[in-house]
Amino acid sequence: MALKTVLLREIAHSRSGEKGRDSNVSVIAYEMDDYPLLREQVTVDAVKSMFGAITKGSITRYEAPNVGALNFVLCDVLEGGRTRTLAFDESGKALSSLMLGLPVSVGDDFVGRGERISKAMGGAK
Amino acid sequence: MKRIRIAAGSAWSRDRFEPGADLIARGDIDYLCFDAMSEVTQSIAQVARLNDPRIPPYDPLLRKRIAPILKAAKERGVRIITNGGWMDPAAAAEEIIRIAEELGVTDLKVASVSGSDITDRVRDLGLNFVESDKPVADLRDKIISAEVYLGAEGIIQALAQGADIIVTSRVGDACPYMAAMAHEFGWSIDDHHNIAKGMIIGHLLECGAQVTGGCFADPGYKDVPDIANLSNPIVEVTEDRVVISKLPGTGGVVSEATCKEQLLYEVQDPARYYCPDVIADMTKVRFRQIAENEVEVLIDDAGLPKSPTYKALVGIMEGYMAEEMVLFAGPGAMNRAELTKRLLEERFARHSSQPTEVRMDFIGINSVHRESTPHVVDDPYEVVLRVAIKADTKEVVDTLGTEVDPLAVNGVAGIGKWGTFSPGARTRAIVGLNSVLVPREVVPFEVRYLECAGG
Repeated sequence: MALKTVLLREIAHSRSGEKGRDSNVSVIAYEMDDYPLLREQVTVDAVKSMFGAITKGSITRYEAPNVGALNFVLCDVLEGGRTRTLAFDESGKALSSLMLGLPVSVGDDFVGRGERISKAMGGAK
Repeated sequence: MKRIRIAAGSAWSRDRFEPGADLIARGDIDYLCFDAMSEVTQSIAQVARLNDPRIPPYDPLLRKRIAPILKAAKERGVRIITNGGWMDPAAAAEEIIRIAEELGVTDLKVASVSGSDITDRVRDLGLNFVESDKPVADLRDKIISAEVYLGAEGIIQALAQGADIIVTSRVGDACPYMAAMAHEFGWSIDDHHNIAKGMIIGHLLECGAQVTGGCFADPGYKDVPDIANLSNPIVEVTEDRVVISKLPGTGGVVSEATCKEQLLYEVQDPARYYCPDVIADMTKVRFRQIAENEVEVLIDDAGLPKSPTYKALVGIMEGYMAEEMVLFAGPGAMNRAELTKRLLEERFARHSSQPTEVRMDFIGINSVHRESTPHVVDDPYEVVLRVAIKADTKEVVDTLGTEVDPLAVNGVAGIGKWGTFSPGARTRAIVGLNSVLVPREVVPFEVRYLECAGG
């Protein structure tokens, strides 16, 4: 099947939180059926391509198949942690939206989240 | 069959005040838990108290949270659990008794659970910091606070003794919720699976609206109805069923998606979520939407025995920081912002004492995702140059203002300034947080009771 590239946000949602100097960024499939695609494509290397420049420590991926999700822990990404960082986003709560810009490859007939919501709302945009 | 309903009154010290009263009035709840902290709350309070000893050693918003709901809570039999006791839960309990007396609330029993504060001991326990593996004792003179995340045992004891209100120092964020369940269902603290179940439910509720539509809305992808009127969550627990919901007629949404986001929030390894009383396996949890804004939480055996240590946060005085902003818009905005960055770098370099760290960002361009920002806009209509610096002394940090303020007359064209009201007003002390793992036996907890008999 022919493939096309979409942003991760068409397949998954995400929330990021702070753990001292580290952040966690979850990646959760909207549809459980898409979890294997996340496992295959949202790899540590893929995440490194997005977060590598600001992550001074390791990047670890954990799997939570029960909720169709991956959880990434980015070590030393907050420039010392919330109380001592000079970063403007001191708690890293905005990091989830960086994750959602990751390009992923899907089948040509894949209908993304945005289009599905738009259709459900009556198609007008 | 036994059925209890627990609600989240607040998720941290500066959360909204409105949901608490509404939950008591309409929520048919048995327990209302107020988280009144964040990681930095206590260390910042310690610094403030150094400068002004009249500041109370507990949450200064305690009265504002408790006074409006105390009477209704007592009348309806809603028990309140809060970690707003901060450094001195017993003093917070006295304040609650004062509030009760002023309101004419009688027959009230208030318990305080203390013991978390180990500031006096932490230097001499032979511990190393988790982050650096360096001895805590090396920073002896810089340590300003140290507090352990206590477990739920003190709260469970107080509930068994009939306390209406329990005020604690730092405890695991989910512990107040779990304690209510352990008390009601008679779970032993060593009953790993049930304690883990209670902590997972508590974890889902402890961030308040983050499971009812807060931190969730992304228009066109994840829409949240009436987001201005978010409700905080309610959990209904029976022996065989757990359901998260919210008050009818409020904004927000409770869905499998909101629950999944909150399940993994601030989690490292989902299979090993460390709590004071247990290790919980979040991969044993599933969600099922059973009605609009009602999600059933299905938890298989998810408990592992607790680790031999408590986690503690250590606050360390680490100098000062300050930030400034300079504003640009219209044609050539980016060029003028970049020129300003270069001229500031040149002027800073002339100072004899240099900051330990400098960060310059262009807001609107790369300030949020920093060096990981995927692409840079070439010619934005407006851009803000943000400059932040850090140094060991206040004098060096104040040089930021010394160089930024004069830009008003000797900077580039069309330069806007963020209002500065007084010199050095944006300089603040840094309290860095490190963590240590503390053997349980050096952290006893203490439960005390105060009663307001009245009548």
